Amino acid sequence: MDDLELLRGLGRELEHEPPGSLVRQRGRLEDAPRRRGRGHRPPGRWPLLGAVAAVTAALVLVPAALLHAGDPRVGRTAHPFAPGSEKPLNVLLLGSDTRAEGGRSDTIVLLHLPADRKGARVVSVPRDLLVRIKACKTPKGTLTLSREVPINAAFALGGADCARETVESVTSVEVDTTVVIDFAGFRGMVDALGGVEVTLPEPIRDPKSGTALLPGRQRLDGRRALAYVRVRYGVGDGSDLSRIGRQQRFLAAMARRAKAVQAGSPLRFAKFVAIASGSVSTRPRMDVGAMEALFRSLGRTEPDAVAFNTLPVRMAASDPNRITIDAAGAQRLLTPFRED
Amino acid sequence: MAWGLPVNPGRGLWRDTGQHVLDGKAGPHAMVPSMTAPPAGARAAGAAPDRAVGECDADLVARSLDDPEAFAALFDRYAAMLYRYVSRRLGPESAEDVVGDTFLAAFSKRHRYDQAHRDARPWLFGIVTKLVSRHHRSEAARYRALRRSPVDGPQEGPAERVEAGVTATAVRPLLAEALAKLSRRDLDVLLLFAWGDLTYEEVAQALGIPVGTVRSRLNRARRKVRATLGDTNPMREEA
Repeated sequence: MDDLELLRGLGRELEHEPPGSLVRQRGRLEDAPRRRGRGHRPPGRWPLLGAVAAVTAALVLVPAALLHAGDPRVGRTAHPFAPGSEKPLNVLLLGSDTRAEGGRSDTIVLLHLPADRKGARVVSVPRDLLVRIKACKTPKGTLTLSREVPINAAFALGGADCARETVESVTSVEVDTTVVIDFAGFRGMVDALGGVEVTLPEPIRDPKSGTALLPGRQRLDGRRALAYVRVRYGVGDGSDLSRIGRQQRFLAAMARRAKAVQAGSPLRFAKFVAIASGSVSTRPRMDVGAMEALFRSLGRTEPDAVAFNTLPVRMAASDPNRITIDAAGAQRLLTPFRED
Repeated sequence: MAWGLPVNPGRGLWRDTGQHVLDGKAGPHAMVPSMTAPPAGARAAGAAPDRAVGECDADLVARSLDDPEAFAALFDRYAAMLYRYVSRRLGPESAEDVVGDTFLAAFSKRHRYDQAHRDARPWLFGIVTKLVSRHHRSEAARYRALRRSPVDGPQEGPAERVEAGVTATAVRPLLAEALAKLSRRDLDVLLLFAWGDLTYEEVAQALGIPVGTVRSRLNRARRKVRATLGDTNPMREEA
């Protein structure tokens, strides 16, 4: 056996098999190729919000050792999410520029938690997905027409309930809880964590918020984090799908950060939880006790056990510049959301 | 020289020859099963990866100029292989990011890909090498640490693989010592050849250096490794 053979033996010893999370790197690549296609939106107010990602991290991935260690607001009553009575849960997360009615839901994410809470599945729904929205009641009591619109119009037209009904009818997934968060809440949560570390492959310039981010590994505060997850212009190919990739990466980083903060700085974590629970509105209303139980049931969920995907889409028949759901692909991807 | 073959299925890094990066043995951080399916976005707009079957790498790169999603098929072909290589040099912690960065960099440089090279592995290994070099200090520290601490050897696998692993374990401290002391240039050549399963020509292509330079660097590196192994290596008697 010569030196090369010995060296090869050493190499085999040192080698690791690719983890499942390697697929995220493919997601990064997929951000890049979509250089053309989707029509550009006119500049709007806070058009994008990765808040949902943050809420997922806050509500879902963080074990709440602290919550029941003395937060006076935590209820002691029994609820459907109490330990031992866990059931699978589908959560619809809507990130909006404002929590008030009429805001835009620029981030739409479906989240599935299996009964054992050992993992979680996150499926991002492209906001310009062309769907037929059902006639639903607006906050003012009138009915919207059933028609084909980008899916984020459902929230703008009919609020969170309309958004939920639309998502349910498009995906055939029954939603148990809808969570809405606005960008201010997102910013506050990131700041409460003392920032979240990400690696930027390229610089990001967001002229609208006057934010410029340098490439490389860095810790983003709330304001910069918001720019990172919401900016659509000045980075990558400027597409919604590219932004979804960024939001999902940010979510993963934020979940890791939250876990580290919980382990390392209890005070900071307590503040984070307080801000998180004050930054979102849930339907049906989840009281603090229910939230606490959900947190606790997720103590077993490791950030690395979260599967990130994007709803499969294809070119819309009516308009090659629009995308519509790829029914067969969505059927496969969403199967776990329907069972249990 | 069996190790000179570009592809050494079952023994080298390139064990996934199919479409799925993540099938086969799951790593310690294996996820829920659906993670083995490629992300849904890839299915959009009819750019089915199935189309990539039978296309050589150069064709894929060429097609990706007009149809960028074709590039994802290259990821499916080589991400696992590159991950294994980087995990050997830097450990699993950095490997994932380095692989992701490699494909992003490759994608942005795809216009400059030399179509004469049907096999994209040397090109990708060249990019990997540059990115790995940014971690040179931690790589050296990793080898230094190996001089003392035990590694988890291969617990399962073909008998000959385990056997080779056992042999390497015996001389591991000396090998690690040798690697830690090599210059970066020599180390890159040696490891692309021994761990990356590249030929002389492919190493030359990957690093953008003449084949003669590859030979001389490889000879020098091997000489140093052998010197470190010295006469204390019982395996040399049997060789």
